[in-house]
Amino acid sequence: MRLEEELAGAMEAHVADVHAGPSMGAAVRRRHRARGIRSRTAGAALATAVVAGAVPAYLALDAGATVPSETAAPAPGLGAPSALWTEAPPAPPTATADPDTTADPDASPSEDGSPAMPQDLGDLGDGRRFGGVRFGYLPEGLKWGEWSVKNTFGTTSYSTTWVEPGLEPGMYSVQAVVYRDGAARQAAERMKGYRKQGSEAVVIGGERVHLVRAGEAVGKITEDGTPTALWTEAPGLAVEVMLSPDYAGRLGGKETERELRRIVEGLEPTG
Amino acid sequence: MTEEDEAAFDEFLAARSTALLRTAILVCGASAHDAEDLVQHALEKVYRHWSRIRHDNPESYARRTVVNAAISASRRRRVIQEITFARPPETLVDDPDVELRDALLAELRRLPARMRAVLVLRYWEDLSEAETAALMGCSAGTVKSQAARGLARIRERVGTLEGVFG
Repeated sequence: MRLEEELAGAMEAHVADVHAGPSMGAAVRRRHRARGIRSRTAGAALATAVVAGAVPAYLALDAGATVPSETAAPAPGLGAPSALWTEAPPAPPTATADPDTTADPDASPSEDGSPAMPQDLGDLGDGRRFGGVRFGYLPEGLKWGEWSVKNTFGTTSYSTTWVEPGLEPGMYSVQAVVYRDGAARQAAERMKGYRKQGSEAVVIGGERVHLVRAGEAVGKITEDGTPTALWTEAPGLAVEVMLSPDYAGRLGGKETERELRRIVEGLEPTG
Repeated sequence: MTEEDEAAFDEFLAARSTALLRTAILVCGASAHDAEDLVQHALEKVYRHWSRIRHDNPESYARRTVVNAAISASRRRRVIQEITFARPPETLVDDPDVELRDALLAELRRLPARMRAVLVLRYWEDLSEAETAALMGCSAGTVKSQAARGLARIRERVGTLEGVFG
């Protein structure tokens, strides 16, 4: 017998008893949801890194306002009320989250009970203290999202989320990333990119903070992007806070900005 | 994705996931459990782009994704493999056919990952040289030479067991 045929027979015999399990589809969709969190955060972080040619970040507060042209874009001064969020009618509360994340029609807890989400920082309790900072303020009703990553957004970086009760696993309401060392320098570069785009930092709690809507696409700041605050808290320490578009939609534009400001004000370095 | 997309993805999985899992096992030399993890990871990519690719040969896309992932995984596992498979099993096997099959698989696992993938695609999946080349992103000539060299290595090492290959 020819070697090719013997080899084919050996391979066939080796895998003949192997069959994909019936839970393959559910497992793939679980991975997809888990990836959603990572990519949304990465997208928001990277969106601040490549900003050339992006749409001006400033949107009028008035209902129905459209993105102004670059030359007409108002540039809020330091300490002036920023005008970053369009005021959309608050959306009714739902248990769903971002529309870009496909819900699993067979959504169910992991059959084997194992956590689907990364746990790089272990049990964070209420999730407020990590990466050398403490979040003294979080919007009412949120709880820790029970996952965390380290160095996903540069070295050294830490991230976790807080969620409204009832959200499916993998969804978020508020997400924070703490950047240190090289990652903090990269964050500073991203802030420069914001400035080139027309954004001016506003002063919140003594810090100069960029409040923008970061789009999903890298480098894009879009009218319906993720409400984001990014600032340097101390040398070698930058922080980024994002409200999910869904959550922000329920809060409304003005309340979204107020909540972001409160979160920024409440942040304390812990060493 | 629409409900129709979701249903089509489920149908695709029902039809193809076992074959993809078997391909992954053969290409990366992993256990079924490890291969399943690899295939789930690869299929998540397929699922992510499903709306776009479902009408455009999703099987080819999925197979390419799985094979590439299996080659990468195989490279990571190589040191372990060489330790594990460098020597023929010492257990005596009564059935010469089984002994030969085991030897063939052991030698298959010892090949470089891309060479092994070529043999799996050509002789187990029964793809043509052109199909294998398209899937692996190389020329048909490369497939031909890799297959020939892979078979020659196996023949050289296993030939003494059987003495009839040629």
